[in-house]
Amino acid sequence: MGKYVLKRIGYMVVVLLILSFLMFLIYNLVPANRAYTDARAEVNALKNSIPADQLDARFDELYLEYQRRYGTDTDNKVIRYLRWVGVYPLYDGTYNGLLQGNFGYSYQWRDDVVNIVGAPLKNTIKINIFATILALGITIPLGITCAVKKGSKGDQIMQVVTLIGYSLPTFIIAIMFIWFFCSTLNWLPPSGMKTPGSNFVGWEKFLDEAHYMILPLITMTFCSLGGMTRYVRASMIEAMSLDCIKTARAKGLREKVVIYSHAWRNALIPIVTLVVGWFLGIFSGSLVIEQMFALNGMGNLMITSLQTQDFDVIILLQMFYVIISLLGNLIIDLVYGLVDPRVRVNK
Amino acid sequence: MSKKDNKKNGFLRTGNWLTRMFMGADKQYTDEKLKEMEEAKNAAQVSDVEEIVSPTRQIINNFFSKKLAVGALIFLISMFLFVLIGPKFMPTYTDSYTEVTQKSVEPGLDMMSVPKELEGDIKDIDSWGSFSVGLSNSGKVYVWGATKLGTTKIDIADIPEDVQNAKIEMIAAGIDHIIAIDENGKIHGWGYNRFGQYSVDQEILDNPNIAAMPEEIRDGIDVSKIKKLTAGYQCTAILMEDGTLYVWGNKLAYANIDKFLVDTKFKDIDFTLNYVVGIPERANGVYTGQRGLYDQVKKNVTGETKDIGKFLGKRKIEEIETTNSNICLRLDDNSICFIGDFSQNDKPAPTLPEGEYFVDIGSGTYHYAGITNKGNVYSWGGNTFGQSNEPKDASGASKLFVGAFQNYTVDANNKLVSRWGLKGYLFGTDTYGADVFKRIVNGGKMTMTIGAVAVIISSIIGIMVGCIAGYFGGKVDILLMRITEIVSAIPFIPFAMILSAIMAQMTLSENMRIFIIMCILGVLSWTGIARLVRGQVLVARENEYVLAAQAMGVKESKIAFKHILPNIISVIMVNLTLNFASCMLTESSLSYLGFGVAYPKPTWGNMLNGANNATVIGNYWWQWVFTALFLALTTICINILGDALRDVMDPKSNIEK
Repeated sequence: MGKYVLKRIGYMVVVLLILSFLMFLIYNLVPANRAYTDARAEVNALKNSIPADQLDARFDELYLEYQRRYGTDTDNKVIRYLRWVGVYPLYDGTYNGLLQGNFGYSYQWRDDVVNIVGAPLKNTIKINIFATILALGITIPLGITCAVKKGSKGDQIMQVVTLIGYSLPTFIIAIMFIWFFCSTLNWLPPSGMKTPGSNFVGWEKFLDEAHYMILPLITMTFCSLGGMTRYVRASMIEAMSLDCIKTARAKGLREKVVIYSHAWRNALIPIVTLVVGWFLGIFSGSLVIEQMFALNGMGNLMITSLQTQDFDVIILLQMFYVIISLLGNLIIDLVYGLVDPRVRVNK
Repeated sequence: MSKKDNKKNGFLRTGNWLTRMFMGADKQYTDEKLKEMEEAKNAAQVSDVEEIVSPTRQIINNFFSKKLAVGALIFLISMFLFVLIGPKFMPTYTDSYTEVTQKSVEPGLDMMSVPKELEGDIKDIDSWGSFSVGLSNSGKVYVWGATKLGTTKIDIADIPEDVQNAKIEMIAAGIDHIIAIDENGKIHGWGYNRFGQYSVDQEILDNPNIAAMPEEIRDGIDVSKIKKLTAGYQCTAILMEDGTLYVWGNKLAYANIDKFLVDTKFKDIDFTLNYVVGIPERANGVYTGQRGLYDQVKKNVTGETKDIGKFLGKRKIEEIETTNSNICLRLDDNSICFIGDFSQNDKPAPTLPEGEYFVDIGSGTYHYAGITNKGNVYSWGGNTFGQSNEPKDASGASKLFVGAFQNYTVDANNKLVSRWGLKGYLFGTDTYGADVFKRIVNGGKMTMTIGAVAVIISSIIGIMVGCIAGYFGGKVDILLMRITEIVSAIPFIPFAMILSAIMAQMTLSENMRIFIIMCILGVLSWTGIARLVRGQVLVARENEYVLAAQAMGVKESKIAFKHILPNIISVIMVNLTLNFASCMLTESSLSYLGFGVAYPKPTWGNMLNGANNATVIGNYWWQWVFTALFLALTTICINILGDALRDVMDPKSNIEK
């Protein structure tokens, strides 16, 4: 097992390297030149203090200096990439890349990127964990019930409802909920994270935030209901038709034991894959939700950064999404072995 | 064998396996069997023998036994036809069309439905925006059209009590207000009043952007001495017989109001979209308070322009009529001429026969209509909504009322003779004033095209990779599957957003951008289908017919693509259907976020872009309900169809029945 985990992690690192190189190449397509911008700004600031004929020379000098500082004094993309990661020395022989903790600088916020992503990351993870718990709490019992009562009126209705649920894009569901809960019933605030201008502490703060969180959470949960319920139902049906279920019934076990102990265990394997994959999926799914409800999360940060062309932030966020997705794949593989002893991961 | 023959053979073979798929393994054999069965049935009336049908026939039979799936299929086909053929019926549609006077108009087709009580007794009709106001000879006021005013919750059809009780002499409609003057000279107004459209309070007086209603007419006006009452965008003007002009309203809409507040005498007055335009009594010309704005005249809507002084010579201007962007002048020698910008598609003014001339001209938002001394009616100018296509029965009228996009003619007994122009908008208009219905049809075409092309790209890549990996196995398989894993590890929406944002920085034509978006969608979504095909091929590879083909010495690539692929085509078809829906959804999400197809090109996703705040969602429901409905119904139907296909193609699922 340990060997297998190591192998998977090693493989993951390779994929991460390839992907990050690809990202870096795409990122380099952007016609933004940080050294040029900085040098130009500094020369403009110097305009009044040095004679005009020296400005150009001073600019060239500064431009070269900044290029060397940022590691863009070469056209070789591989060297630039290695410098960005921090394994190839800059012009002056020092290392300053991701490995050294240099994640770039945001022009929009005038701060290091590391300081910016903290709060949004916390929010996104918070929302997604809540949504996951809610969604699993609803879909798994629902899917099992549908599978057990397959073909009944209730099951048929659920089939149609879940089909509609997974056919609708997130933003349409969000629009409908805003219309229903905010415009028609006037129960919940349509966007934001806390009452503007409020300064609550402790319990009141929690309640206020919860009030603003309800609608995004409901929307996210609802969006995932359709696909998940169908999936759980399908894998339960498959598990129920296994021979071991017949045997269990023949032994005279109670139906509850048959369903929850025998069938459910067998149905769990595909569901685990789905849950992990889905948990990763909602990170990019929450992009729409965050934008819709004006939540300060990673998705919203990404959209504003794209709009303001704050590319240092974007590439870091992109790497975040890639790492999340790779980690997910790793977890799926490992959990497989835990849930299903038949899967011999050593192979 | 020549190369040509080879190619022909290839086509034949492709045709063969298609026939096999739909007709069964050996058509002749099954046909004979079927005939035999029928004969046997007829002879012995044996009804309990199940007919032998080919698997594909079985699939088709099963499919048609599912009512929901058949319904979804029919709906989808009609939707395809709708978005493919629909745009052909909209020759006047352009993506970039916007109309400032028709913003966020609610759905309805009653813009020309003159109330029954008014039809036989019309004194005046006026309109400027989305609603019309009519006046009967008995002094009663009627309002029809799209009467709800934006987010204000004001319904302009709620005519105030005192207006209903008074005998009204004159009316005029603006974009969001109505002015009525009763027989005692009292000026009534209702509608929106943020810019002092009809009444005055301290806040309005203090606001530098508002020209308040003049003090001398606030308590009343001598109605018998009024020459003209007219209203523009949040602005109103009253012209007296002696040339005195009263004008008030929103200075932000009409920056040159100030020039008309001084003590000048005017012969005629009207509003374009941005300027108050008048004919001063002292000078022979068009006065806007700005030199050189409207001093180039032409004889018709196209043609050479001439300096106004030279053009007019000794002729005097009798009447001025304005649309949003141009002016029509009627001169005292009964000819007409034009000033301002016209679009190339505008219908030119008619050349009247000798001895016939216009006695009255009316103007709408983009068009004019005129009535001649012989009672003939002509209309010309903008024709987007058919407002310049006068019907044959329009002539013979004695009066003509023109406003916004509508025309009405009335005979000598004040009875409505004919009407033509814009009936209304089936699905309302968006925040830019474009027709939502037309955008849905054209946007649907775009959305479906993007979805289809993306699916085709992703399937071609996916099937190729899957077939090769599955059939050859070994190192090829490992390599291809690793590549698949890397591609599938790329988070989809964020990545597509980055590419789209980078593309926005490059100078690309809109069509090129859209094509690249299709490619991005296709290139990022092939991994699922590749895995599926690989799995299927792995199973199919173990079959005897593959062994037979190998034994016969058929080339490996041929076995993979020509023997195995046709056998797993059903699974691929199901996946294609479901992928089509998901590609459409992804495109919509991207466009919705503003990283897909950009405005003004419509897609179902970016049409919902405006509905991202509670104000729009709550007040302008028609701007999202219809689009969302179309998108949702289409994807739901595709998914139902895909599910049904999967069920009927899976032999195991028959047991469940």
